[in-house]
Amino acid sequence: MAGAYGSGKSEVAVNYALARAAAGHAPVLADLDLVNPYFASRDAAAEIEAAGIRLLAPRPDLAYGDVPSLPPEILGIINNRQEMIIDVAGDEFGALVLGYLSSHLMARGDYEFWLVVNPFRPFAGDLESITATKTLIEEAARMSLTGIVSNPNLLEATDIEAICEGHARVGEYAQALGLPIKMLAVEEKFFSRIELQAWIGQLFPLRLYLRPDWISDSR
Amino acid sequence: MSQKKVLMKGNEALAEGALIAGCQGFFGYPITPSSEIAEYMARKMPKIPGCLFFQAESELAAINMVYGTSAIGKRVMTASSGPGISLKQEGISFCAEGELPCLVVNISRGGPGLGGIQPSQADYFQATRGGGHGDYRIPVLAPASVQEMMDFAILSFELADKYRTPVMIMGEGTLGQMMEPIIIRDKVTEFVDKPWALTGCAGREPNIMNTLVLPQDRLEERNRMRQAKFDIMEQNEKRWETFMTEDAELLVMAYGLLGRVARRSVSVAREQGYKVGLIRPISLWPFPDIAVQETLGTVKHILSLEISMGQMIEDIRLAVAGKVPVSLYSRIGFVPNPEEITDAIIETAQREGL
Repeated sequence: MAGAYGSGKSEVAVNYALARAAAGHAPVLADLDLVNPYFASRDAAAEIEAAGIRLLAPRPDLAYGDVPSLPPEILGIINNRQEMIIDVAGDEFGALVLGYLSSHLMARGDYEFWLVVNPFRPFAGDLESITATKTLIEEAARMSLTGIVSNPNLLEATDIEAICEGHARVGEYAQALGLPIKMLAVEEKFFSRIELQAWIGQLFPLRLYLRPDWISDSR
Repeated sequence: MSQKKVLMKGNEALAEGALIAGCQGFFGYPITPSSEIAEYMARKMPKIPGCLFFQAESELAAINMVYGTSAIGKRVMTASSGPGISLKQEGISFCAEGELPCLVVNISRGGPGLGGIQPSQADYFQATRGGGHGDYRIPVLAPASVQEMMDFAILSFELADKYRTPVMIMGEGTLGQMMEPIIIRDKVTEFVDKPWALTGCAGREPNIMNTLVLPQDRLEERNRMRQAKFDIMEQNEKRWETFMTEDAELLVMAYGLLGRVARRSVSVAREQGYKVGLIRPISLWPFPDIAVQETLGTVKHILSLEISMGQMIEDIRLAVAGKVPVSLYSRIGFVPNPEEITDAIIETAQREGL
């Protein structure tokens, strides 16, 4: 799972891991956000581990660092062919870590590499920017993307019109890039909205784990 | 969607705000948690005619590039975090003497030394006491939301040009990193003339930009002139937000993102019957002492909330001049949540018999 910083990729990764665990799988969630520790998926460690998901994150003494530190077990887990969700940091620098892991991931063969896109974010509002992001991430990761996760939202200002308009734009990007849309991620409260039924097969409900309530409540 | 909104990080909103204000130069050296400001400018500025982004070899170089670019009359900025801001102090002092308008942004992290990269308010003394050498003050603005990061960037350039001074925006690291939906403001189109700028002297007397003032009388004159300017800023540029202070007996003071957390805690304490109010200083210099003084008819105790070991508390004590006691609740390395702040407020109210 990759995406520009602020695309929502860590929220998607946490939710996806929890959904897989709820469906009876035993995924490992690897938080490889080594660029910056603010709002990383390891912040939801309590919920993740309570669901029986193994969380791989930088060592606790390095968790507040902005230094590249990979959990040493990661190669073993990849090579053991365990189910694994990897949350890769923000940009092309974040994806560099995949460049190190890519030969092992490709040796496994059974990987998906998704780009999370929120078209309401800077540098995600036009095809040119998205194409540049895709190229930079693929070059750094030395892997090709296999799909797009559409995550159109304005956090607490999201409404159904924003989701529909944003998702239509992500759909256009995906078509131009020749990549399938794997999921349309929406907050739970929008999940059963009639306007989204056209995409029912792709719809993925999100609960926000990394955003403190008080940010939206105190605006 | 009624108004066109975008989802921005605080750092991105600040950078975009600077571009809206017509900022044409960014010079900096990256440091967490401020780096996205430089990254945003690096992507945007090369596409805007007349703009120059440059990643300097050091913070010292960056602030001196700011000095030079301001001297030719352009709107210009730099951004960093604690350790980098320390390195820039000499240049800020030079900009103050040269009366060179510019924006300096501190997205603060814990110190001293290299410290940590978590949010902090421990650079308050550095920001409000001048920081560098010599007699000078600079306006310091403390935003509390991603929208204010954008709006205060625009305001900072206005103040900088109006008073010919560096202006600082200081925000906790979290404010730079967190995202909120915001409205993009309209582009600034009116700018003040800068007849003092070094723009080529064909047809006029040369302008000279120099901070060396050797004659005693000239040095004293320069300092008195600058002080007169600081006095005017103290008159006109105090900014703050009050919340439920009308009949408050316990006054809570907090700035930045923490001020926003405190607002919610004050509401909760009110619901439980405590007569609590809040002042959120928006300008840290000039400090909004008059706002505090206005509450002293009812206020019996002041609680300063800070992500430091207590720095703003000194300005509060200066403002109240011993009339009411002032106490501190402080945490280091994170923005405490509203529940914790509510507990601190109620504990203080009970302890003080309010």
